[in-house]
Amino acid sequence: MPESTNYIPPLSFSPVVSTDVSLYRSGYPMPLNFPFIRDQLHLRTIIYVGDKQELSQEYQDFLATENIKFHNIFMDSCRDPAVDERMNEVLKLVLDIDNYPILIHSNKGKHRVGVVVGIIRKVLQGWSLTGIYQEYGIFSGGLKGEADMEYVTMFETCLKVPKEKVPRFAIF
Amino acid sequence: MSLAGVNDDNYSNKSNLCENTPFDEDVDEEEDNIYINEETELGREHVLIAHGPQRRIVPPLNFCPVERHLYRSGQPSPVNFPFLLNLNLRTIIWLANEEPQDSLLEFCDIHNIRLEFAAINPDGGEDDNPWDGLTEHSIINALQTIVNQDNYPLLVCCGMGRHRTGTVIGCLRRIMGWNLASVSEEYRRFTGSRGGRILVELLIEAFDTNLVKIDSSKAPSWLLTALE
Repeated sequence: MPESTNYIPPLSFSPVVSTDVSLYRSGYPMPLNFPFIRDQLHLRTIIYVGDKQELSQEYQDFLATENIKFHNIFMDSCRDPAVDERMNEVLKLVLDIDNYPILIHSNKGKHRVGVVVGIIRKVLQGWSLTGIYQEYGIFSGGLKGEADMEYVTMFETCLKVPKEKVPRFAIF
Repeated sequence: MSLAGVNDDNYSNKSNLCENTPFDEDVDEEEDNIYINEETELGREHVLIAHGPQRRIVPPLNFCPVERHLYRSGQPSPVNFPFLLNLNLRTIIWLANEEPQDSLLEFCDIHNIRLEFAAINPDGGEDDNPWDGLTEHSIINALQTIVNQDNYPLLVCCGMGRHRTGTVIGCLRRIMGWNLASVSEEYRRFTGSRGGRILVELLIEAFDTNLVKIDSSKAPSWLLTALE
Protein backbone atom coordinates (compact mmCIF):
# COMPACT_ATOMS: atom_id res chain seq x y z
CA MET A 1 0.00 0.00 0.00
CA PRO A 2 1.02 3.67 -0.23
CA GLU A 3 2.92 3.57 3.05
CA SER A 4 5.56 1.28 1.60
CA THR A 5 5.91 2.96 -1.78
CA ASN A 6 7.42 6.12 -0.33
CA TYR A 7 7.54 8.25 -3.42
CA ILE A 8 10.19 10.96 -3.44
CA PRO A 9 9.34 13.87 -5.75
CA PRO A 10 12.28 15.94 -7.00
CA LEU A 11 13.39 18.92 -4.93
CA SER A 12 11.03 21.92 -5.10
CA PHE A 13 8.53 19.89 -7.07
CA SER A 14 5.13 21.47 -7.75
CA PRO A 15 2.43 21.63 -10.38
CA VAL A 16 2.42 24.94 -12.26
CA VAL A 17 -0.68 24.35 -14.32
CA SER A 18 -3.10 21.62 -13.33
CA THR A 19 -6.15 22.12 -15.49
CA ASP A 20 -6.59 20.90 -19.06
CA VAL A 21 -2.89 20.03 -19.24
CA SER A 22 -0.23 19.27 -16.65
CA LEU A 23 2.85 21.43 -16.36
CA TYR A 24 5.25 20.76 -13.49
CA ARG A 25 8.36 22.43 -12.09
CA SER A 26 11.21 21.03 -10.02
CA GLY A 27 14.90 20.87 -9.30
CA TYR A 28 17.23 18.41 -11.05
CA PRO A 29 15.72 14.90 -10.94
CA MET A 30 17.89 12.28 -9.25
CA PRO A 31 17.57 8.50 -9.65
CA LEU A 32 15.67 8.32 -6.35
CA ASN A 33 12.99 10.53 -7.92
CA PHE A 34 12.54 8.38 -11.01
CA PRO A 35 9.84 6.07 -9.55
CA PHE A 36 7.73 9.12 -8.65
CA ILE A 37 8.16 10.67 -12.10
CA ARG A 38 7.47 7.38 -13.82
CA ASP A 39 4.41 6.32 -11.80
CA GLN A 40 2.74 9.63 -11.09
CA LEU A 41 3.57 12.14 -13.80
CA HIS A 42 3.61 10.12 -17.05
CA LEU A 43 5.62 12.85 -18.74
CA ARG A 44 5.95 13.32 -22.45
CA THR A 45 8.48 16.15 -22.28
CA ILE A 46 11.19 17.40 -19.95
CA ILE A 47 12.66 20.88 -20.44
CA TYR A 48 15.92 21.52 -18.65
CA VAL A 49 16.89 25.16 -18.27
CA GLY A 50 20.42 25.19 -16.99
CA ASP A 51 24.13 25.10 -17.54
CA LYS A 52 24.94 21.38 -17.29
CA GLN A 53 25.71 20.04 -20.73
CA GLU A 54 26.01 16.35 -20.03
CA LEU A 55 23.37 14.01 -18.72
CA SER A 56 24.23 11.19 -16.38
CA GLN A 57 23.92 7.71 -17.87
CA GLU A 58 21.12 6.94 -15.43
CA TYR A 59 19.13 9.98 -16.51
CA GLN A 60 19.66 9.14 -20.19
CA ASP A 61 18.52 5.57 -19.60
CA PHE A 62 15.47 6.75 -17.70
CA LEU A 63 14.46 9.15 -20.49
CA ALA A 64 14.92 6.42 -23.08
CA THR A 65 12.96 3.79 -21.14
CA GLU A 66 10.10 6.16 -20.41
CA ASN A 67 10.17 7.59 -23.92
CA ILE A 68 10.39 11.18 -22.68
CA LYS A 69 11.56 13.90 -25.07
CA PHE A 70 14.32 15.94 -23.47
CA HIS A 71 15.05 19.56 -24.38
CA ASN A 72 18.20 21.12 -23.02
CA ILE A 73 17.79 24.89 -23.11
CA PHE A 74 21.09 26.40 -22.09
CA MET A 75 20.59 29.12 -19.53
CA ASP A 76 23.13 30.33 -17.07
CA SER A 77 21.04 33.11 -15.63
CA CYS A 78 18.58 35.73 -16.80
CA ARG A 79 21.57 37.99 -17.55
CA ASP A 80 22.78 35.78 -20.42
CA PRO A 81 23.01 37.70 -23.69
CA ALA A 82 20.85 35.16 -25.56
CA VAL A 83 18.35 34.60 -22.80
CA ASP A 84 15.39 36.07 -24.71
CA GLU A 85 15.78 33.56 -27.53
CA ARG A 86 16.08 30.72 -25.05
CA MET A 87 12.98 31.89 -23.26
CA ASN A 88 11.09 31.93 -26.55
CA GLU A 89 12.20 28.34 -27.19
CA VAL A 90 10.74 27.34 -23.83
CA LEU A 91 7.50 29.23 -24.53
CA LYS A 92 7.10 27.55 -27.91
CA LEU A 93 7.35 24.13 -26.26
CA VAL A 94 4.87 25.16 -23.57
CA LEU A 95 2.45 26.49 -26.22
CA ASP A 96 2.10 23.12 -27.95
CA ILE A 97 -0.44 20.75 -26.41
CA ASP A 98 1.29 17.82 -28.06
CA ASN A 99 4.19 18.17 -25.61
CA TYR A 100 2.17 17.65 -22.43
CA PRO A 101 2.57 16.53 -19.66
CA ILE A 102 5.70 18.70 -19.30
CA LEU A 103 8.25 19.02 -16.49
CA ILE A 104 10.48 22.10 -16.49
CA HIS A 105 13.46 21.79 -14.23
CA SER A 106 16.66 23.62 -13.45
CA ASN A 107 19.26 22.57 -10.88
CA LYS A 108 17.54 23.59 -7.67
CA GLY A 109 14.16 24.56 -9.06
CA LYS A 110 14.38 28.03 -7.62
CA HIS A 111 15.78 30.80 -9.76
CA ARG A 112 15.85 29.73 -13.40
CA VAL A 113 12.59 27.81 -13.19
CA GLY A 114 11.20 30.69 -11.15
CA VAL A 115 11.87 33.06 -14.04
CA VAL A 116 10.37 30.70 -16.62
CA VAL A 117 7.24 30.17 -14.51
CA GLY A 118 7.00 33.92 -13.87
CA ILE A 119 7.00 34.56 -17.59
CA ILE A 120 4.35 31.90 -18.22
CA ARG A 121 2.21 33.48 -15.48
CA LYS A 122 2.65 36.95 -16.96
CA VAL A 123 2.45 36.40 -20.70
CA LEU A 124 0.15 33.39 -20.97
CA GLN A 125 -2.02 33.66 -17.87
CA GLY A 126 -2.17 37.38 -17.17
CA TRP A 127 -1.10 37.18 -13.52
CA SER A 128 -0.34 40.41 -11.69
CA LEU A 129 3.34 41.03 -10.97
CA THR A 130 2.80 40.86 -7.20
CA GLY A 131 1.38 37.36 -7.56
CA ILE A 132 4.39 36.41 -9.66
CA TYR A 133 6.86 37.87 -7.14
CA GLN A 134 5.17 36.03 -4.33
CA GLU A 135 5.26 32.70 -6.11
CA TYR A 136 8.93 33.23 -6.93
CA GLY A 137 9.56 33.91 -3.24
CA ILE A 138 7.75 30.73 -2.12
CA PHE A 139 10.13 28.61 -4.16
CA SER A 140 13.34 30.59 -3.77
CA GLY A 141 12.99 31.00 -0.02
CA GLY A 142 12.93 34.76 -0.56
CA LEU A 143 16.52 34.96 -1.76
CA LYS A 144 18.25 37.12 -4.38
CA GLY A 145 15.41 37.61 -6.77
CA GLU A 146 15.81 41.22 -7.81
CA ALA A 147 17.49 40.65 -11.17
CA ASP A 148 15.20 37.74 -11.95
CA MET A 149 12.08 39.72 -11.15
CA GLU A 150 13.31 42.70 -13.13
CA TYR A 151 13.76 40.38 -16.08
CA VAL A 152 10.22 39.01 -15.73
CA THR A 153 8.84 42.53 -15.40
CA MET A 154 10.56 43.77 -18.54
CA PHE A 155 10.10 40.63 -20.63
CA GLU A 156 8.15 40.98 -23.84
CA THR A 157 8.08 38.67 -26.77
CA CYS A 158 6.51 38.20 -30.12
CA LEU A 159 5.72 34.65 -31.03
CA LYS A 160 3.45 33.37 -33.73
CA VAL A 161 2.08 29.96 -32.83
CA PRO A 162 -0.60 27.71 -34.32
CA LYS A 163 -3.80 28.42 -32.47
CA GLU A 164 -5.05 24.86 -32.48
CA LYS A 165 -1.99 23.74 -30.53
CA VAL A 166 -2.27 26.34 -27.77
CA PRO A 167 -3.32 24.76 -24.46
CA ARG A 168 -6.54 26.12 -23.05
CA PHE A 169 -5.01 27.55 -19.89
CA ALA A 170 -3.25 30.14 -22.04
CA ILE A 171 -6.44 31.39 -23.61
CA PHE A 172 -8.70 33.64 -21.69
CA MET B 1 -13.06 30.18 -26.24
CA SER B 2 -13.12 26.79 -27.82
CA LEU B 3 -10.09 25.41 -29.56
CA ALA B 4 -12.19 23.10 -31.65
CA GLY B 5 -13.09 24.17 -35.11
CA VAL B 6 -10.84 27.20 -35.34
CA ASN B 7 -9.97 26.21 -38.88
CA ASP B 8 -13.51 25.61 -39.99
CA ASP B 9 -13.98 28.67 -42.12
CA ASN B 10 -11.74 30.90 -44.17
CA TYR B 11 -9.22 28.11 -44.25
CA SER B 12 -7.93 28.59 -47.78
CA ASN B 13 -7.36 32.31 -47.96
CA LYS B 14 -6.12 32.77 -44.39
CA SER B 15 -3.52 30.06 -44.60
CA ASN B 16 -1.74 31.81 -47.42
CA LEU B 17 -1.74 35.01 -45.48
CA CYS B 18 -0.20 33.29 -42.50
CA GLU B 19 2.62 31.77 -44.46
CA ASN B 20 3.57 34.91 -46.25
CA THR B 21 3.04 37.76 -43.85
CA PRO B 22 6.34 39.04 -42.55
CA PHE B 23 5.05 39.69 -39.09
CA ASP B 24 7.74 41.87 -37.59
CA GLU B 25 6.62 45.16 -39.11
CA ASP B 26 2.92 44.59 -38.62
CA VAL B 27 3.53 43.76 -35.03
CA ASP B 28 5.53 46.87 -34.26
CA GLU B 29 2.63 49.06 -35.21
CA GLU B 30 0.17 47.30 -33.00
CA GLU B 31 2.39 46.11 -30.28
CA ASP B 32 0.57 47.98 -27.56
CA ASN B 33 -2.61 46.06 -27.89
CA ILE B 34 -1.68 42.69 -29.29
CA TYR B 35 -1.92 39.77 -27.00
CA ILE B 36 -2.81 36.17 -27.10
CA ASN B 37 -6.21 35.31 -28.47
CA GLU B 38 -6.65 38.52 -30.37
CA GLU B 39 -7.76 38.23 -33.95
CA THR B 40 -5.09 39.81 -36.10
CA GLU B 41 -4.31 39.83 -39.74
CA LEU B 42 -2.28 36.70 -39.11
CA GLY B 43 -5.62 35.02 -39.42
CA ARG B 44 -7.50 32.62 -37.30
CA GLU B 45 -4.98 29.82 -37.37
CA HIS B 46 -2.24 31.51 -35.46
CA VAL B 47 -2.08 33.61 -32.38
CA LEU B 48 0.48 36.17 -31.39
CA ILE B 49 2.04 35.94 -27.99
CA ALA B 50 3.45 39.27 -26.86
CA HIS B 51 3.08 40.57 -23.33
CA GLY B 52 -0.21 39.23 -22.08
CA PRO B 53 -3.37 41.21 -21.51
CA GLN B 54 -3.42 44.68 -19.94
CA ARG B 55 -6.00 43.57 -17.43
CA ARG B 56 -4.31 41.40 -14.85
CA ILE B 57 -5.62 38.76 -12.50
CA VAL B 58 -4.33 38.60 -8.94
CA PRO B 59 -3.86 35.20 -7.25
CA PRO B 60 -4.73 34.93 -3.54
CA LEU B 61 -1.92 34.93 -1.00
CA ASN B 62 0.17 31.75 -1.11
CA PHE B 63 -1.81 30.38 -4.04
CA CYS B 64 -0.48 27.21 -5.64
CA PRO B 65 -1.87 24.29 -7.62
CA VAL B 66 -1.68 21.00 -5.70
CA GLU B 67 -3.05 18.46 -8.17
CA ARG B 68 -5.38 18.56 -11.15
CA HIS B 69 -8.16 21.05 -10.33
CA LEU B 70 -7.04 21.15 -6.69
CA TYR B 71 -5.59 24.41 -5.33
CA ARG B 72 -4.40 25.89 -2.04
CA SER B 73 -4.22 29.50 -0.83
CA GLY B 74 -4.78 32.02 1.95
CA GLN B 75 -8.13 33.74 2.38
CA PRO B 76 -9.22 35.22 -0.95
CA SER B 77 -10.23 38.88 -0.91
CA PRO B 78 -12.28 40.77 -3.52
CA VAL B 79 -9.17 41.64 -5.54
CA ASN B 80 -8.73 37.88 -6.14
CA PHE B 81 -12.27 37.17 -7.33
CA PRO B 82 -11.59 37.51 -11.08
CA PHE B 83 -8.69 35.10 -10.60
CA LEU B 84 -10.91 32.63 -8.73
CA LEU B 85 -13.53 32.79 -11.47
CA ASN B 86 -10.94 31.45 -13.90
CA LEU B 87 -10.61 28.34 -11.77
CA ASN B 88 -14.32 27.49 -12.15
CA LEU B 89 -14.43 26.34 -8.54
CA ARG B 90 -17.20 24.10 -7.32
CA THR B 91 -16.08 23.94 -3.68
CA ILE B 92 -13.97 25.97 -1.25
CA ILE B 93 -12.83 24.36 2.00
CA TRP B 94 -12.35 27.04 4.66
CA LEU B 95 -10.25 25.87 7.60
CA ALA B 96 -11.18 28.11 10.52
CA ASN B 97 -13.67 28.43 13.34
CA GLU B 98 -14.72 31.93 12.40
CA GLU B 99 -16.56 32.78 9.21
CA PRO B 100 -14.58 34.20 6.30
CA GLN B 101 -15.12 37.81 5.20
CA ASP B 102 -18.65 38.66 4.07
CA SER B 103 -17.37 39.44 0.59
CA LEU B 104 -16.19 35.84 0.18
CA LEU B 105 -19.50 34.45 1.43
CA GLU B 106 -21.30 36.66 -1.05
CA PHE B 107 -18.96 35.67 -3.88
CA CYS B 108 -19.58 31.97 -3.23
CA ASP B 109 -23.29 32.59 -3.09
CA ILE B 110 -23.42 34.45 -6.40
CA HIS B 111 -21.25 31.97 -8.24
CA ASN B 112 -22.78 28.87 -6.78
CA ILE B 113 -19.62 27.71 -5.04
CA ARG B 114 -20.13 25.46 -2.04
CA LEU B 115 -18.23 26.86 0.91
CA GLU B 116 -17.37 24.09 3.31
CA PHE B 117 -16.38 25.01 6.84
CA ALA B 118 -13.95 22.64 8.43
CA ALA B 119 -13.89 24.17 11.90
CA ILE B 120 -10.49 23.56 13.41
CA ASN B 121 -11.86 22.96 16.88
CA PRO B 122 -15.66 22.77 16.80
CA ASP B 123 -15.95 22.60 20.57
CA GLY B 124 -13.59 25.47 21.23
CA GLY B 125 -16.21 28.19 20.86
CA GLU B 126 -15.06 31.63 21.94
CA ASP B 127 -11.97 30.22 23.60
CA ASP B 128 -10.58 29.07 20.32
CA ASN B 129 -7.03 30.14 19.61
CA PRO B 130 -6.38 30.87 15.95
CA TRP B 131 -2.92 29.37 16.32
CA ASP B 132 -4.29 26.04 17.49
CA GLY B 133 -3.62 23.19 15.14
CA LEU B 134 -6.34 21.25 13.38
CA THR B 135 -7.97 18.35 15.18
CA GLU B 136 -7.76 14.93 13.61
CA HIS B 137 -11.50 15.07 13.08
CA SER B 138 -11.35 18.27 11.03
CA ILE B 139 -8.42 16.98 8.97
CA ILE B 140 -10.41 13.86 8.09
CA ASN B 141 -13.46 15.96 7.23
CA ALA B 142 -11.49 18.11 4.83
CA LEU B 143 -9.78 15.08 3.28
CA GLN B 144 -13.08 13.26 2.73
CA THR B 145 -14.11 16.23 0.59
CA ILE B 146 -10.78 16.22 -1.25
CA VAL B 147 -10.91 12.53 -2.17
CA ASN B 148 -14.29 12.96 -3.89
CA GLN B 149 -14.17 14.10 -7.52
CA ASP B 150 -17.73 15.45 -7.27
CA ASN B 151 -16.36 18.44 -5.33
CA TYR B 152 -13.89 19.55 -8.00
CA PRO B 153 -12.50 22.04 -8.97
CA LEU B 154 -11.60 22.64 -5.33
CA LEU B 155 -9.72 25.26 -3.31
CA VAL B 156 -8.40 24.57 0.20
CA CYS B 157 -7.72 27.74 2.18
CA CYS B 158 -7.25 29.27 5.62
CA GLY B 159 -6.28 32.75 6.82
CA MET B 160 -2.74 32.81 5.45
CA GLY B 161 -2.62 29.53 3.54
CA ARG B 162 0.27 28.36 5.69
CA HIS B 163 -0.24 26.01 8.61
CA ARG B 164 -3.82 24.72 8.50
CA THR B 165 -3.85 24.38 4.74
CA GLY B 166 -0.36 22.92 5.00
CA THR B 167 -1.57 20.32 7.49
CA VAL B 168 -4.38 19.12 5.25
CA ILE B 169 -2.24 19.06 2.10
CA GLY B 170 0.55 17.34 4.04
CA CYS B 171 -1.81 14.57 5.14
CA LEU B 172 -3.04 14.25 1.56
CA ARG B 173 0.57 13.78 0.40
CA ARG B 174 0.99 11.03 2.99
CA ILE B 175 -2.08 9.27 1.60
CA MET B 176 -0.44 9.59 -1.83
CA GLY B 177 2.61 7.79 -0.54
CA TRP B 178 5.03 10.72 -0.48
CA ASN B 179 8.18 10.43 1.54
CA LEU B 180 7.90 12.43 4.78
CA ALA B 181 10.88 14.67 4.03
CA SER B 182 9.24 15.71 0.75
CA VAL B 183 5.96 16.42 2.55
CA SER B 184 7.77 18.65 5.04
CA GLU B 185 9.66 20.43 2.28
CA GLU B 186 6.39 21.32 0.60
CA TYR B 187 4.80 22.42 3.88
CA ARG B 188 7.72 24.69 4.80
CA ARG B 189 7.73 26.39 1.42
CA PHE B 190 4.51 28.17 2.32
CA THR B 191 5.25 29.06 5.92
CA GLY B 192 7.08 32.33 5.34
CA SER B 193 10.10 33.71 7.13
CA ARG B 194 9.24 32.24 10.54
CA GLY B 195 9.42 28.76 9.12
CA GLY B 196 7.42 25.63 9.78
CA ARG B 197 5.88 24.62 13.08
CA ILE B 198 7.14 21.38 14.54
CA LEU B 199 3.63 20.63 15.85
CA VAL B 200 2.21 20.70 12.36
CA GLU B 201 4.90 18.35 11.12
CA LEU B 202 4.27 15.98 14.00
CA LEU B 203 0.55 16.05 13.22
CA ILE B 204 1.26 15.17 9.59
CA GLU B 205 3.70 12.41 10.51
CA ALA B 206 1.35 10.86 13.07
CA PHE B 207 -1.74 11.07 10.87
CA ASP B 208 -3.32 7.68 10.31
CA THR B 209 -4.00 7.65 6.58
CA ASN B 210 -6.36 4.69 6.92
CA LEU B 211 -8.91 6.95 8.60
CA VAL B 212 -9.77 8.52 5.25
CA LYS B 213 -12.17 6.32 3.33
CA ILE B 214 -11.52 6.43 -0.39
CA ASP B 215 -14.27 5.37 -2.75
CA SER B 216 -12.41 4.45 -5.92
CA SER B 217 -15.48 5.12 -8.07
CA LYS B 218 -15.43 8.76 -6.90
CA ALA B 219 -11.73 9.46 -6.32
CA PRO B 220 -9.83 11.82 -8.65
CA SER B 221 -7.71 9.94 -11.17
CA TRP B 222 -4.39 11.33 -9.88
CA LEU B 223 -5.22 9.88 -6.47
CA LEU B 224 -5.97 6.47 -7.92
CA THR B 225 -2.69 6.61 -9.83
CA ALA B 226 -0.85 7.36 -6.60
CA LEU B 227 -2.59 4.51 -4.77
CA GLU B 228 -1.91 1.87 -7.40
